[in-house]
Amino acid sequence: MFAYAVRRVLQLLVVLFGLTLLMFALLKTMPGDPARIMAGLGATPESIEVIRHKLGLYDSLPVQYWRLTSGLFNGQLQAMTYHKPVWTVIVERLPATAELGVLALLLSLVVSIPAGLLSAVYRNSPLDYGVTTAALVGISIPVFWLALMLMMIFGVILRILPVAGRGATLLGWSFLTIDGLRHLIIPSVALSSVLMALNARLTRASMLEVMRQEYIDTARAKGLRERVVLIKHAFRNALAPVVTNIGLQVGTILSGAVLTETTTAWPGIGRLVVDSILRRDQSVVFGVALFMATCYMISYLFVDLLYAYMDPRITYD
Amino acid sequence: MIENNKNTLLRDYLLSLLVPGLGHIVRGWWRKGLVFWVFLAIQGGVLYAAVLRGRLAWLACSASKSPSEYWFSTTVLFLFFLILWLWAFFDICRLTRVSNAETFVQGYWQIVARRFSKDPKGLVGLVIILAVCFVALFAPFLARGNALSMDLVNFLNPPSLEHPLGLDNFGRDVMDRIIFGSRVALGIGAGATVLNMVFGGLLGLIGGYFRGASDALIMRVLEIVNSIPFLVLVLLIVSLWEAGVVTLIIVLGIFGLQPARIIRSEVLSVREKDYILAARAVGVPTPWIIIRHVLPNAIASLLVVTTMMVGVNIIIVAGLSFLGFGVRPPMASWGAMLQQAQEFMRTAWWMAVYPGLCILVTVFGFNILGDSLRDVLDPRLK
Repeated sequence: MFAYAVRRVLQLLVVLFGLTLLMFALLKTMPGDPARIMAGLGATPESIEVIRHKLGLYDSLPVQYWRLTSGLFNGQLQAMTYHKPVWTVIVERLPATAELGVLALLLSLVVSIPAGLLSAVYRNSPLDYGVTTAALVGISIPVFWLALMLMMIFGVILRILPVAGRGATLLGWSFLTIDGLRHLIIPSVALSSVLMALNARLTRASMLEVMRQEYIDTARAKGLRERVVLIKHAFRNALAPVVTNIGLQVGTILSGAVLTETTTAWPGIGRLVVDSILRRDQSVVFGVALFMATCYMISYLFVDLLYAYMDPRITYD
Repeated sequence: MIENNKNTLLRDYLLSLLVPGLGHIVRGWWRKGLVFWVFLAIQGGVLYAAVLRGRLAWLACSASKSPSEYWFSTTVLFLFFLILWLWAFFDICRLTRVSNAETFVQGYWQIVARRFSKDPKGLVGLVIILAVCFVALFAPFLARGNALSMDLVNFLNPPSLEHPLGLDNFGRDVMDRIIFGSRVALGIGAGATVLNMVFGGLLGLIGGYFRGASDALIMRVLEIVNSIPFLVLVLLIVSLWEAGVVTLIIVLGIFGLQPARIIRSEVLSVREKDYILAARAVGVPTPWIIIRHVLPNAIASLLVVTTMMVGVNIIIVAGLSFLGFGVRPPMASWGAMLQQAQEFMRTAWWMAVYPGLCILVTVFGFNILGDSLRDVLDPRLK
């Protein structure tokens, strides 16, 4: 187990290294002169030249690469348009995205797992058709459009929820205040639509798979009540793939967050990416992309290890 | 029992050549004949609209547009008429021959077709996709104006009889823009998917079949590309160039590598089968094994992945355009229309509702078709 974990972590580092190379290559081909952007409007050619030297844009590519990567870790890398270290910018924005993502995920699990379970138990019933159709709609709906519709219905027409923005925060978290919580509803519901659909489909498929197993027949044959068979024997085993997939869904959440946050003016990491790409702020783009990738891979790794730990049938060779 | 002497056969063939489907109906194959008539009616409707608006290529009389703009749709329309006629004719030939011989040997694809025709999900998906394709192909005939003509007096007018889906902030007809936007959505969605399948398919095939070092390398590349959220990666790459339809197709096509993983696992399981071993033992060259034995056995999942990828690509293009990185205005695309609608959320709901509904319905069509294909193509389910 330990050796397996170590190998996975090493693998993760290799992938992250590859990603830094890819990102660096992309950023170097990005149009726009970072020095000019940093100098702002109306800067003289001399001052741009000074900044260019300061940024080290005349150094060789390996040196630049090293500065960019190491700067990210020791906090030396400055965001060009925010005049703060990249880390600070990310950390400031992190709670917004974290609470949005976690709430969306929780919401999706609360809805989708019972839905998937019922849909599998009452297979081919109207309920099942309803759930599967709703889930298909859920994976087909563009999250930004859903957010827009929710904003229009609840914000503009009914006026019961704030249209956009983050509202009041306490210690940087908005779910701690009533106002912040109200602002949180629309983006998290929009973001959770895809997750709900994915998880409901997954729960249903996995539950159907488990219910085909022989130990379910055995449990029924020995006279257990149907509810006990379904909950204790089937459901608990069917949950494992769903839990594992949560790790994979961090990617979906982050992608969705980019769109939802931009639509609802939620000041999180997703919007930071879009803004920085628009402003050609290369160091922030580099930092956020790496940060997102790291989050995704760590959660993936964590769930994989958890799965291996929970299920004794899995061997780690 | 249907009588099958020479005279009736000749009569039915002639009727079928006269009007597609008539031969079928005379023979008593009502449903099939009516299907041909439905197609005939739809195509006739398009032809009527085209003639009415003077947009059939050689009738084009609109001053602002040159006839060449309409050549594509005109050609496709007449090609479709030709196909309809030939199809009806060959179909009745085939059916009469089959009912002569009374042989019903069912191959895999016949079973699949039979199962598919009984699956309402798949049919719904197919109808949606065909409808969208149809709108995209004949956009210039169906739209009443064009996607770009502005009306700066009546801008932001709500839906009315004259403009069923309203006018946008430049006074452009929302319905016309949606009609032309379907071309962008489908074009990019399908184009990128073709590239995805070729590119990802090749990588998956190589990795899965040869394994070893090439597989390890491909898997690492896949991991690197997949580690960052796809939308962010594509955003970044698209922002490098002046975005356009071709750029989007290429970027989405090359970096959408999800099919590679699925094809790889499929190939991995196929290559261990005895028939592959047998083929290798008798000395069949590797490319031939892949084409003749590996691919056909992976075709089921290939089809499902292809269908679903079109939907994914359409959603991503819409997202990119929504963020302002995709198709640039004034070109009509559903995502860009939503981006504009965002500003006018408080005043013009019609700008936001309809393009989004179109994305939803189109992507739903592809997803539900893919879902149904997965069930239908599964050889285990009889």
